[in-house]
Amino acid sequence: MLSEPERGSAPLETVFAIAFLLLLVLGAIEVVWALYGRNVLISSAHEGARAALELGRSSSDAVTIATRSIEQSAGALVDELDVGVSTETVGGRSLVRVEVSGVLTPRGPVPMPIPVRTAATVSRSATPDGR
Amino acid sequence: MRGVRPVADETGMALVETLLIAIVLIVPVMAALGVLSDLHRGALAASAAAREAGFEAARSGSAEQANLAVDAAVQVAFFDHGIDARSANVRWTGAPGLPRGGVIEVEVAYPVEVLQLPFVGSMSEPRVWVNARHVARIDPYMSRE
Repeated sequence: MLSEPERGSAPLETVFAIAFLLLLVLGAIEVVWALYGRNVLISSAHEGARAALELGRSSSDAVTIATRSIEQSAGALVDELDVGVSTETVGGRSLVRVEVSGVLTPRGPVPMPIPVRTAATVSRSATPDGR
Repeated sequence: MRGVRPVADETGMALVETLLIAIVLIVPVMAALGVLSDLHRGALAASAAAREAGFEAARSGSAEQANLAVDAAVQVAFFDHGIDARSANVRWTGAPGLPRGGVIEVEVAYPVEVLQLPFVGSMSEPRVWVNARHVARIDPYMSRE
């Protein structure tokens, strides 16, 4: 016995299915961009803090290097970038803390701005002049 | 027609079936993306930890101080990357007495759990080890107390 005729349009359903699959794939790529951007922010904060700790360098170097690192690695993914640096001497050690905040805007089918805030701290023995 | 039997009473929508299959497929894909992100983060954290540890060890006055400095540097570097440093393996080598002009080699290995299930967390196996190595030179004109 043959089956009853099924109603529906195969091309139309295929178009919908492909559109949905495409959305899923592009969404997955968007998530990857977001994760990558977050990792870049974390690592760049560390780069900036490390740079500021070297003798002869200052807090502004930390801002410059962290900002440059982010812009070169994930500049198109981050908006409203803000880099802050604080330094202090605790127990004979110089501490440099770099805080990076921004809004991740990964390119994809779904607008998905993700605010991210991260910080990195490095230290070394203070020099006799307190730097 | 011999061997071919017409199928009767089959109903369904291609769109619904495709969506179900897509959802089933997308879950492992998203899990794999999460693992890839962890690998990337682990690699960045391990390299930062190795570099910090080498930096600190090269400025230490003795092997005991270097041990403490390396542990502290690795913990801070992993913490900054949002990773628990307890699962990391750290090894450093240097000439006895840490002579001026010598080198210190630091190796950091961090395991990334591949099997991470939603709402369950990560399993202990299988793991991918991320390794980083850094060689630091002790300042030849370094002063010591």
